[in-house]
Amino acid sequence: MTVDALALNNALVEDYLKRFVQEELHTSGFTEACIALSGGLDSALVLKLAVDALGVGHVHTIFLPYKTSSPESRRDAHAMFEFCGIPWQELDISGMADEYLTLQPGIDRLRTGNLLARLRMAVIFDQSKKENALVVGTSNKSELLVGYSTWYGDMACAIMPIGDLYKTQVRSLARHLGLPQQVIAKPPSADLWAGQTDEGEIGVSYETLDQVLFLLVDQRCPAAEVISEGFDADLVHGVEDKIQSSQFKRTLPPIAKLSQRTVGIDFLYPRDWGK
Amino acid sequence: MTYTVALAQVNPACGDLEYNVKMHVAQVEQALEVGADLIVFPELSLTGYMLKDQTLDVMRPADCPEFTGLRELSRHIAICAGFVEQGTDGIPYNSAFFMDAGEVCHVHRKMYLPTHGMFEELKFFGRGGELSIFDTRFGRTGIVICRDLFHPLEVSTMAALGVELLLAPSAMPARGFGGEELAIEHTVGLALGSVSTFLGMFVVYVNRVGFDDGLGFYGGSALSDPVEGITVSAPRFEAVQLLGTVDTSHIARHRYQLPIRREEDLAIVRRALETRRNS
Repeated sequence: MTVDALALNNALVEDYLKRFVQEELHTSGFTEACIALSGGLDSALVLKLAVDALGVGHVHTIFLPYKTSSPESRRDAHAMFEFCGIPWQELDISGMADEYLTLQPGIDRLRTGNLLARLRMAVIFDQSKKENALVVGTSNKSELLVGYSTWYGDMACAIMPIGDLYKTQVRSLARHLGLPQQVIAKPPSADLWAGQTDEGEIGVSYETLDQVLFLLVDQRCPAAEVISEGFDADLVHGVEDKIQSSQFKRTLPPIAKLSQRTVGIDFLYPRDWGK
Repeated sequence: MTYTVALAQVNPACGDLEYNVKMHVAQVEQALEVGADLIVFPELSLTGYMLKDQTLDVMRPADCPEFTGLRELSRHIAICAGFVEQGTDGIPYNSAFFMDAGEVCHVHRKMYLPTHGMFEELKFFGRGGELSIFDTRFGRTGIVICRDLFHPLEVSTMAALGVELLLAPSAMPARGFGGEELAIEHTVGLALGSVSTFLGMFVVYVNRVGFDDGLGFYGGSALSDPVEGITVSAPRFEAVQLLGTVDTSHIARHRYQLPIRREEDLAIVRRALETRRNS
């Protein structure tokens, strides 16, 4: 089955998200944005939205490869710099990563992948301080829900413009905005090791995953109802497990409550308090 | 009777009463320059929406010193604006005042405070318990704040009790981006259409724009006329002030043709409620 409800009015979404980027930055007292460009679709889309929202001179973007990053990532990052009219910026994280990795013999690829994501986070936040900018995040709703992202790594940012768009919706919006075809068409990958693809790791195509997520999350359908729509039972239960087991990534750490007013529990203010 | 209404589709600063009062004064002066008789602002226009614990800091009685400038301006133009009302009981209410001739004539406390999903109003506000019906130079007037508009029983009762002009200050977040219009716009359109068409009221719906913590308010303010339909329609997402004309001269003829208000019989409702209560 296909869920038509995933279709978006892309012109409306584009208008809304550009205003979101503009207003969230300006309310916080910033005019500049910082974006780590990976060569993938999510950061490409966020870069385009930010450039259109803020003006090309106000978006600071940088490609942060590791020595195993694929040549396609560099090629596609390059294509996006050109597409947006931004001079090429690159900082290779291999040196700083390898300093630590050589001290960790036998480190597995998941730990390595998380380390690289967190090093990129450290770099982009430092760059944002240098540029007096806010870090604009590139996570999408599909990966936020199944936890396919590194906590305090690629999830770390000040605002998330596409955090409520499923991956298939990200593709659709990217087509609407005329992003380079090679960026839209490539298999999504975190590029944390050679040959890695999201769909290989998650075990299902984004088309199917997004429909299951839409039914479970947006429509609040019980798993049995989703399965009765024709989706594989193991897949549906697996997705449910992924959503639940990654909940910790989507919350602030619990604070042990002792006082009358506790940060995170009943000390309640909007993010832009006083701005 | 013909009069001009200004729909002030603004973007309040969250928690900044001083800024918002100045913004209101500027909006009122702009409306005065073009000869408007009434200006309507969105829900919580003087405070912002996503206040959370700032609710305590910005609550004021309607006759507070901060609103003196607006009260003075209301000698020349009637003003409906949203604020956090500090009740004499000390409770904060999500309210809207109606000022005219230099006085606060009426305060409506929002009756239906959405507290589900993204909304948490009952966590911070007391609940209003009265229909807003008061007489002004524009005829019998009523105020509904945002979600109140989606409760047909109350709105119908206001019509049955003679309300001609319904003011609907709102802070409706955008959601449902799949169609030509937002899903919430469609919902609001149904409400405005039914209130005007079947209940015969002019509705001044003023929704805010801008973002509070990720919630984006879509604007789309409108003047809904019982005969002409939507006569003023503000753009999505843009802060604007638009003018509309309320012309009541054709209303009697319209009601003669479609005498729904004349037919209305609250006694039927009263009997049903009593029967139900006693059964």
